[in-house]
Amino acid sequence: MEYVSPEGLRIDGRRPLEMRKLHAEMGVVAKADGSASFVMGNTKVIAAVYGPREVQNRSQQMSDQALVRCEYSMANFSTGDRMRKQKGDRRSTEISLVIRQTLEACILTHLMPRSQIDIYVQVLQADGGTRSACINAATLALADAAIPMRDIVTSCSAGYLNSTPLLDLNYVEDSAGGPDVTVGILPKMDKVTLLQMDSKLPIDIFENVMQLAIEGCKAVATYIQEILLENTKQLEYHRGV
Amino acid sequence: MGLPNESGDLLSKMDSDASRRLFPLRFYESHLSNSTRPDGRPLKSAREAFVGPGDVASADGSAMTKIGSTTMLAAIKMEIMTPSADKPDEGSIAVEFYMPPICSPLVRPGRPAEIAPVISKQLYDTIMSSGMIDLKELSLTSGKAAWMVYLDIYCLDADGALFDAALYSAAAAFSFLQIPVVSLSEEGRLTIIPEEGNGDKSDKDVVNKGKRKLTISSLPFSLTCGLHKNYILPDPTSEEETLMETFVTVVLNSSGHLVSLYKPGGPVLAQTSTIQDCIALTRQRMTDLQKSLDEAITEMKMD
Repeated sequence: MEYVSPEGLRIDGRRPLEMRKLHAEMGVVAKADGSASFVMGNTKVIAAVYGPREVQNRSQQMSDQALVRCEYSMANFSTGDRMRKQKGDRRSTEISLVIRQTLEACILTHLMPRSQIDIYVQVLQADGGTRSACINAATLALADAAIPMRDIVTSCSAGYLNSTPLLDLNYVEDSAGGPDVTVGILPKMDKVTLLQMDSKLPIDIFENVMQLAIEGCKAVATYIQEILLENTKQLEYHRGV
Repeated sequence: MGLPNESGDLLSKMDSDASRRLFPLRFYESHLSNSTRPDGRPLKSAREAFVGPGDVASADGSAMTKIGSTTMLAAIKMEIMTPSADKPDEGSIAVEFYMPPICSPLVRPGRPAEIAPVISKQLYDTIMSSGMIDLKELSLTSGKAAWMVYLDIYCLDADGALFDAALYSAAAAFSFLQIPVVSLSEEGRLTIIPEEGNGDKSDKDVVNKGKRKLTISSLPFSLTCGLHKNYILPDPTSEEETLMETFVTVVLNSSGHLVSLYKPGGPVLAQTSTIQDCIALTRQRMTDLQKSLDEAITEMKMD
């Protein structure tokens, strides 16, 4: 099947190095300490952060740092066919772990000992790149909850189909059987915290694709910084500064 | 807790946020005695309700409703199934209500919300008994194929009046529903054609071309009122719900008939007059809800 036409257009009309349209909002769940929604093309996720709060399970309490927990779940209607198991299946557990570890690396947990920070992500619509959208949404939610962090974490995916590196794969491109490289970075510190790849790639092409994904992450970081700035201006305005 | 005088003095010296947390009942009752509620509403007023299409591309119909901060997202997916042997001419509806951990600080992964399956059942019973959907209309071929309608409602933010918002989103989702197009394959099996299907097949085999909308005879609308001492407080927020021990939910349909009445126990006993007051409040509420929904439906048709 042709994923990149001879004129250089992908199935959804994008160019190979073009990302899907991004849209983010903060403070979407009133009850949460911090929340955000993140949309990448047709993938829509909502993240909510509760904490720092009292540790639910006393035996897991840590005296020198905060406990970070994460749960990823998908809505029944988020994929083309209605799903029966939305969480607790292997894929969801793996993604929960990945998101937790990625964000734990940047939260200053030693500032909040004996407490728990819960990050919940709910996928409302899945069209490829859910992992990345969830990490981006969680970053914004943590910022909305005023949880101290070293840096924001942004994530993006890239692949290689029809001999072309492609940025930000959608579901069809992801299921094509080609490689899927997901990267998460701390943009200011210029460090990679998450790197996952499946399928096969020659090493020199992998370097290209990973670099492309990192560029995508930086583009997401620029957008997230705009959103954070806008949000801060709103807060200042409401405070009468 | 100390003598009543003590906490009273403390109350006057403390700022309102602290007294709200430490003495919630007193805080609340001091508002009630001034004929207002903590969020500034008059006593008998329900919060404004918003309804709109849910924008879920993968669903056949979806709606999002908000009552105050309470947010519900309802989505309907339809699949073809074989009807049961004792009801060969009827389809089936499955209703499920979820409270994912994002919606409330009280819901945690190991501790699911107790109220979720209760509301699930309440919704299912209300939708089926209201006669909103005629199951016979869901039949495609008698005895061989019928529609299975899956209605999933997700609470994205829980701030009281969960059942009301969920029922409203279900009513809206059914109103926005577009039945998928179905075609007959060579082996005589009915299959759903996806939206971007082949253009050349479209007219020949389509079985239900003209029938893309369900006939909805009448929509149910509800209002939950909390009963506290002598007060009837419609549409409680989650903070108010913790203070009230008794609730009455009244469901009316658009023809003005009483569809369901739900008062699940509780220490406050309700006299007939109280119930009638609740019904009157629900009737008022229904006019507003219906108007907003009609506006949303017209807007959707214009797109």
